[in-house]
Amino acid sequence: MKVLIICTEKLPVPPVLGGAIQTYIAGVVPVLKEKHSVTILGVNDPSLPDEEMIDGINYVRVPGKLLEIYRDGVKEYVKNNRFDLIHIFNRPRLVPAVREAAPDARLILSMHNDMFKREKIDSETANRAIEELDKIITISDYIGHTIKELYPQAEAKLQTIYSGVDLDRFVPAYTAKGKKLSRQVREEHDLTFKKIVLFAGRLSPNKGPDVLVRAMRLLQKEHPDAVLVIVGSKWFSQEGLTDYIAYLRAIAARSPIPVITTGFISPAEIHRWFAAADVFVCTSRWQEPLARVHYEAMAAGLPIITTNRGGNTEVMEEGKNGLIVNNAEDPEEFARHLSHLLSDSSRRRKMGEYGRMLAEKNYNWNRVVSDISGVWDEIEVKINNNIPITAQYGEKQELIITEEIITFNDSASEETVKVEYEEKELEPAVQFEEKQELVTEEIININDTADEETDKMPTEEKDPVPVVQTAEEADKSPKEEKDQVPAGQPAEGAEVDSTKINEEIVKPVKRGKDHVLNRLGKTFPKNPYYPHFKWVR
Amino acid sequence: MSEEQQITPWNIDGALGEWYVPLYIENMADEVLCHYNFTTTTRTVMALKNEFGGLIWKLETDDGPKSLKILHRPPVRSLFSIAAQEYLVKKGAKVPEVIKTKQGESFVNKGEKLWFVAEWIDPLWQVSDDLNGAKLLSGAIADFHERSKGFVPPERCVKSSRLKRWPKKYAKIITKMNWFREITELYGEMPASQVIQESLPIFEIQAVNAHEKLLSSPYRKLADRGDKAWGLAHQDYGSSNGQQSSDGMWIIDLDGVAFDLPVRDMRKLIDEYMYNLGYWDLEWVMGMLEAYDEVNPIEDELFEVLLIDMSHPNLFYKHVKEMVYEPEAFLDAEVKAEVERVLQLEETKWAVIAELRKEWKGGKRR
Repeated sequence: MKVLIICTEKLPVPPVLGGAIQTYIAGVVPVLKEKHSVTILGVNDPSLPDEEMIDGINYVRVPGKLLEIYRDGVKEYVKNNRFDLIHIFNRPRLVPAVREAAPDARLILSMHNDMFKREKIDSETANRAIEELDKIITISDYIGHTIKELYPQAEAKLQTIYSGVDLDRFVPAYTAKGKKLSRQVREEHDLTFKKIVLFAGRLSPNKGPDVLVRAMRLLQKEHPDAVLVIVGSKWFSQEGLTDYIAYLRAIAARSPIPVITTGFISPAEIHRWFAAADVFVCTSRWQEPLARVHYEAMAAGLPIITTNRGGNTEVMEEGKNGLIVNNAEDPEEFARHLSHLLSDSSRRRKMGEYGRMLAEKNYNWNRVVSDISGVWDEIEVKINNNIPITAQYGEKQELIITEEIITFNDSASEETVKVEYEEKELEPAVQFEEKQELVTEEIININDTADEETDKMPTEEKDPVPVVQTAEEADKSPKEEKDQVPAGQPAEGAEVDSTKINEEIVKPVKRGKDHVLNRLGKTFPKNPYYPHFKWVR
Repeated sequence: MSEEQQITPWNIDGALGEWYVPLYIENMADEVLCHYNFTTTTRTVMALKNEFGGLIWKLETDDGPKSLKILHRPPVRSLFSIAAQEYLVKKGAKVPEVIKTKQGESFVNKGEKLWFVAEWIDPLWQVSDDLNGAKLLSGAIADFHERSKGFVPPERCVKSSRLKRWPKKYAKIITKMNWFREITELYGEMPASQVIQESLPIFEIQAVNAHEKLLSSPYRKLADRGDKAWGLAHQDYGSSNGQQSSDGMWIIDLDGVAFDLPVRDMRKLIDEYMYNLGYWDLEWVMGMLEAYDEVNPIEDELFEVLLIDMSHPNLFYKHVKEMVYEPEAFLDAEVKAEVERVLQLEETKWAVIAELRKEWKGGKRR
């Protein structure tokens, strides 16, 4: 089949800037392309050409960052190129537009986040999207559940396909390769005899690593040899420094247990920290779809402490590959689990081995590929048999498809199958309706303007792997009330003549911190990270 | 994507001198100015956001003084501000006119930033220190709000709206009160730590109450009227960005404009005036609100939301929030004095709010 994979508008593929969805796509296409002709459509990036062929995969990149802009590029491309199957990632809002540009293609959607929630998509667009799709793949049951709750008609199309991890790269410290990596990292950071507690992920209130800093305080007496390593981006950068990261940094600086913050680590390097660690902790306090780091920790043979939020626990077998925290806000609960694991190296080892076994069995890329391949095959059968998308009668459809798969290669029976299908299809299938109207225009409220100090709520795909900033993140830099910002043209008395002004321009005078500009006491903002204009007079 | 050089933050440590501008940006400015019909004689750096890639020049041209700005935000976001400014000019608001390029565009996209030229209003001076000055500022922002109604941003831009974000903002501040408690405990030796810790319970309750009141107020109903109906708030309004000229009040620096309830600008302005007075004064607040109401009437339900916003511990928050960035710098004696001043304001604040609630009806004192 000619297959088009449509990535999100945020980060490019290959995952040069990280991103869970990007990593996922890069993980599965090398195998999928063997059987199908694969094109990946994604957002452009200064470091990558707009079109290239790598290892038999065609990459096409169009402008993005903002979904509206990206959608234009996607539509344009889809209109001018024919595909049998279009597999869209995490953007239900793209579905109606893609359908419009490709009336005959079959559409699949993969959901990595809760992008069907009301704030993200209006119900009309969501209903249309669901109607147009043959299948909705979710990365966890939890995500499927959130969709089903709002749109029960989607149920028959839902299928959970858990993600995978590179088992050769993420290796346990008890293997020769892992041991070497561990030794290197520990030596580099002077941690040879330390017990390393690892957090990896975006530094945001939802991901909640602050609770871990608090938990570590409680371990000081019992485990003076412990260190906390926080792998996450933006730690050092002024650009995009959020107030949350600033807060985290402030409390980490006073931690009695050393807190090592690595800043951004390239996705190609991150496994080294997993090899070096003793325990992995996921502190999500939001309804996490299911963070990739769980797979990575299992592959690296680490016992996991994770929160009972969202889909996280779907990959946990409590007491076997790790422990579960019920109250994500409670540092004591984390400390209790941590203390238990840090005190018992054989338990750690046992859990790590069990986790590795699970990763090898269930979370390897081959399994992911074969699951996706299975979905694509189903679609191929449907295409070859002209079976329409049936929204309401999923179960029936499943049955028929099974039969078809069995008889697929037998051209003689193909007609029979069709007949049988038509007979069963007594009730009207949802056909490709005429397109009524263009996609509803969505209003995007960005939380990044100067006044709002909301940390970006992770509705995006780039959760578990630290990524460098996107333009959007860069914009969302310290957002605080601008009240203090001196701005505007330098005030001059009415009587000041222009020569005087010119003189002052020639000799710039800095308005210092204590320079009172007016009776309101406006001074330079004290926050050095604030994107203020510094005025020259 | 383009091969062109991107504008990135420069001279972050200041080692190259306070007002250093990289040559490639100067060269870009030359190229950008080629797109315009006027001839520039001198170009002077007036303001920098070098950490973010923003810059303002004052231009002397054969067509009078102008400003040339590089907006630091991504182009899709900057587009919103420029479009808003143009809309306001079209509606007759006194904001500097955006100058079109030879090709009729409102901006030039270069180095992955938007550049635009606007009139430089010269001379401008600040309003007087008294209540009359405060009234002038209030009337001017009311006019700005009034004329911004009906603005529809370009389709392909990031729409900046805070209209529906008030509850989130309030909730976030409640969360941050916990951060402040933890930081002041960890940095107990700093001069401001104790007074902040002592006052946190007071302001925390205020924040929680304000949040609850907001949720049960007409706020949601008002916000549901939508962005277009309310128009834009300046978000950074004060005596620097609202200034006088011989032909009236001008409002400048529109980079941060966002859709919002207009009373947000007024609440900030009033807060700032009261802080500088050192006490809450009913005559001042009433005078400012009446001056505002004359130009852009404040309906009763909106007034109720304004009172809730006033009862939020904005000033406390504003003066302590920087501590997260560097506790050892921003919990100093100066912050201590500021928090003490905010505490002192508490003594008069609540009576004034109660009086406002009692006296205000249909935009007038009863």
